[in-house]
Amino acid sequence: MKLDPRTKLVIIICITTLALIYNTPGRLLLLFALTIILILFFRINLAGIWSSLKKLLPLLLTLFLVQVIFLRSGTALVSVGSAPLITANGLAAGTSVMLRLGIVCFVAVLLTSSTNSRDFVLGLAQWKIPYEIAFMVSVTIRFLPVLREEMSNIITAVQLRGVELKKVPWREKIKLYCSLFFPLVYGTILKAQRLSLAMEARCFRIYPQRTYLRRLRLTCIDYVLMVVSVIATLIFINPDIWR
Amino acid sequence: MAFIELKQVSFFYPGKKEPVLNSVSHSFGKDGITAVVGPNGSGKTTLTKIMVGIVQPNSGEVFLDSLPLKKYSLAEIGRRIGYVFQNTSHQFFCATVAEEIGFGLKHLGKESEAVEEKVEFYLEYFELTAYRNVFPLRLSYGEKQRVAIAAVLANSPDYCILDEPTVGLDVYRKRLLENHLKKIVRLGSGLLIVSHDYNFVKRIADRVVRMENGQVQEGSG
Repeated sequence: MKLDPRTKLVIIICITTLALIYNTPGRLLLLFALTIILILFFRINLAGIWSSLKKLLPLLLTLFLVQVIFLRSGTALVSVGSAPLITANGLAAGTSVMLRLGIVCFVAVLLTSSTNSRDFVLGLAQWKIPYEIAFMVSVTIRFLPVLREEMSNIITAVQLRGVELKKVPWREKIKLYCSLFFPLVYGTILKAQRLSLAMEARCFRIYPQRTYLRRLRLTCIDYVLMVVSVIATLIFINPDIWR
Repeated sequence: MAFIELKQVSFFYPGKKEPVLNSVSHSFGKDGITAVVGPNGSGKTTLTKIMVGIVQPNSGEVFLDSLPLKKYSLAEIGRRIGYVFQNTSHQFFCATVAEEIGFGLKHLGKESEAVEEKVEFYLEYFELTAYRNVFPLRLSYGEKQRVAIAAVLANSPDYCILDEPTVGLDVYRKRLLENHLKKIVRLGSGLLIVSHDYNFVKRIADRVVRMENGQVQEGSG
């Protein structure tokens, strides 16, 4: 089914809102399952998403461990003498953090993989969002994969200079990654400068009014899905909302 | 003896019907300079990327010094084969030109004085001294090309693969590069150059491999 990019945006905002508000692993797991169903519904290659997102696993596991180790309230599950090592609350908080980040990453991919960035700008502009802001958002979405590719190029180039990244001690590795971060950001800023020059050379914002060759039309299904998503989100946030 | 050997190597880019490389078998020795020539899209760059393990072939196998390339990590390959990308911007990751040239040596555990000495030599040789503290991506195309080549050569690899090394270089700097490449070959390194610069290839190459439609059409020299 082909949905309007605005409908997808509303669904994604609803899911992200719930992911930020929910703080129990059970609810977050249900939300994660819903996200996976949506990804399958939009026929996005789940294996492809997994292969690109699995690089985040070390970060997710680190966050999980930090929560498990430092949150000491609740029933002790594992103790050393009288000191609790792992508590029920720590385990729940760690799982929640992992699921929450997982949901946000997966829904972000849902937006970037299934929507043409031009359609996205068009949709936002039709919602009276200033074209400049809509364009900025679309450029961000457009350049996320480029940034990822650039990082992967850097990692390849570092290894091709003979550095065995897997064997570098953690302390050195962190130092190395920090030193790689600056050129990456600087390179991105240079790219942004060139992009803005190219846009101005092609008369970006030369007239105050823009016209569009194409117009997006919201169908009945779009309206129904948007209304259902918003109402469902409000009910999930506060079940007493109708009373 | 073959230093890099390709056996029945085929490669398809996802979504493309025609293979970029179609059952390529060829050996590259460590002696002298080999040039790979051919029209755009004939698979020259893909071939070199497969030779250094950046891209994995769909079928067939690549051998480095008689051992399957799969047995080596990318860093182990990098220590033996220096690779200059076609788009040199892809290989810069340091904050200054001097750091870029010295990066490999520093991380291979060389003494800082030896690193400094080699960096100075390459900065001077490729006339980059004025740019030693400049961010590499700020340089012009030709300057980036020189930094990329210097950074790879500074590691003194056994074999070098340079993808379009003369793009953006003026006649004088092409001559400088030519002299230096001939020198490192005399010192025992092997060299493979992918180039469209016919005059450069004619002057420098001991062998020419022509690629067309994803296959090695002929080898000469």
